Amino acid sequence: MRTRHPIAASLAVLGYIVMLVPILFVVVTAFTAGSTLRFPPEGFSLQWFEAALTYTPFTSSLVSSLILAVISAALALALGVPVALAIHRGKLPGKALVEGLFLSPLIVPELVVGLALYQQLMVGFGLDNFQTLLFGHTVLMFPYAVRVTGASLALIDPAVEDAARGLGASAGRTFFSITLPLLRPGLFSAALLSFITSFNNVPLSLLLQSRDFRTLPVVMLDYVQQNYDPIVAAISVLILAATVLVAVIAERTVGFAKVFGGINR
Amino acid sequence: MRGRTALLVLPGLAVLLVGFLIPSVAMLFAPPGVSPVEVFERLGQMLTDPYDQAIVMRTLGLGLIVTVICIGLGYPIAYLLSRSTSRWAGVLLALAIFPLLLSSVVRTFGWLVVLGSQGAIPQLLLRLGLVDTAPQLLYTPLAIVLGLTQIFLPLAVVASYSALAQVDAGLDEAARGLGANRIRTFWSVVVPLSGPGVVVAATLVFAGAVTAYTTPYLLGGSRQRMLSTQLYTYSSTTIDWAAASATALIMTVLVFAVSGLSSLAARRGATS
Repeated sequence: MRTRHPIAASLAVLGYIVMLVPILFVVVTAFTAGSTLRFPPEGFSLQWFEAALTYTPFTSSLVSSLILAVISAALALALGVPVALAIHRGKLPGKALVEGLFLSPLIVPELVVGLALYQQLMVGFGLDNFQTLLFGHTVLMFPYAVRVTGASLALIDPAVEDAARGLGASAGRTFFSITLPLLRPGLFSAALLSFITSFNNVPLSLLLQSRDFRTLPVVMLDYVQQNYDPIVAAISVLILAATVLVAVIAERTVGFAKVFGGINR
Repeated sequence: MRGRTALLVLPGLAVLLVGFLIPSVAMLFAPPGVSPVEVFERLGQMLTDPYDQAIVMRTLGLGLIVTVICIGLGYPIAYLLSRSTSRWAGVLLALAIFPLLLSSVVRTFGWLVVLGSQGAIPQLLLRLGLVDTAPQLLYTPLAIVLGLTQIFLPLAVVASYSALAQVDAGLDEAARGLGANRIRTFWSVVVPLSGPGVVVAATLVFAGAVTAYTTPYLLGGSRQRMLSTQLYTYSSTTIDWAAASATALIMTVLVFAVSGLSSLAARRGATS
């Protein structure tokens, strides 16, 4: 790996620098004692962490983001897992079309979907911004719910289910005591991917914000545009730390690459 | 049984229709209070107006550059990782995937610290005496390219990796056993076999880059407008919904065209 491919190795090193070095700069800046985004930072201090944790727009939008991500991930799974079941186990005409439809939110630009929901559901139908966000985020997660649980469903031998049914279990009983437990790793991956997708989303949430309900990335974006101080670096480091924790938990339970490499995007 | 299967699909389908399919179609062709004719008139104006043309060309051009760079850096990473037997390969793969878990705001923010006038690169150039005043690096096409490359490189790595992992490493050895050198093996065996996967990777990156919002907004600002930042301005600042829908239409057609072309290319690559 070291010298056998010198050109490929140099390109790879450059790639890692572009991917990771800006994140390192965020981390270093968060600990500055100074008051601007100056590099090198002036002294060491935890003041910006304190500032981030007591700045109400951040804390209240963090709560909003968590609520939205949890509810919409649960909805996406509750609605998407039956679809995956129908595609892989049921007698459904046009399976490919159904699967394609549920994956289609990945293709249309998110900002376009955000504008569509803003115009049609909020302005047109008078839904409030939380309800509209819930629709948008749930739909955005369908591809993960359907594709990831579908992939793990495809790995379960249908003969196990047939055996349960042959021994007299009803369809419901078979699902809850055989299929669902076997499906658990897939469900976990789908839930995690969905949650993270929602929590990080900007383009879909951007046009759907209101004064009462805004998500954290959107608030951070607004803040960065108007101010030039390290408070956003501090909140970023807190998010980074939480994300590392999530990744470690994912690694311990299902395997990191399996969860996050499972679906290309 | 067929009826029961339909029952499984219907609730999800209903939400998909209300929360995505119907609004998207309705918005593109008839936003509230605007007739479809106005949208298409505005679309026609945009395609002939030099200012709007410049935005479309900038979006396409930067998207293309970012795609080339992401594949140029991501494919070597994926290649080395897929052929490595080192135990560090797993860690390096995780490091490449990990940024995907971070919000684009968190990732892009770093460039403000790197490129800003008080930031690392301008200050370094000043201290080295290479420049007299801090160069303006933010709000330039370069900043957008760097930012978008950072955002989409992990995607290029993951997609290329899954393509390369399917190319049996035994084939490399077979080619070398038959007398091909390392470079020949790479170009005549590894590259053609992983080609369709790389096309997929490039499509994902391009579609993402021409529709991304956060990075062009933070690093390009109002000086380097792209379709996405322009769309947001039309729909929330100037509230010109005909223009917003027309911009959305351009973005959507662009993405669909590229996905269509790439699936054609991938299919041809697979059959030839």
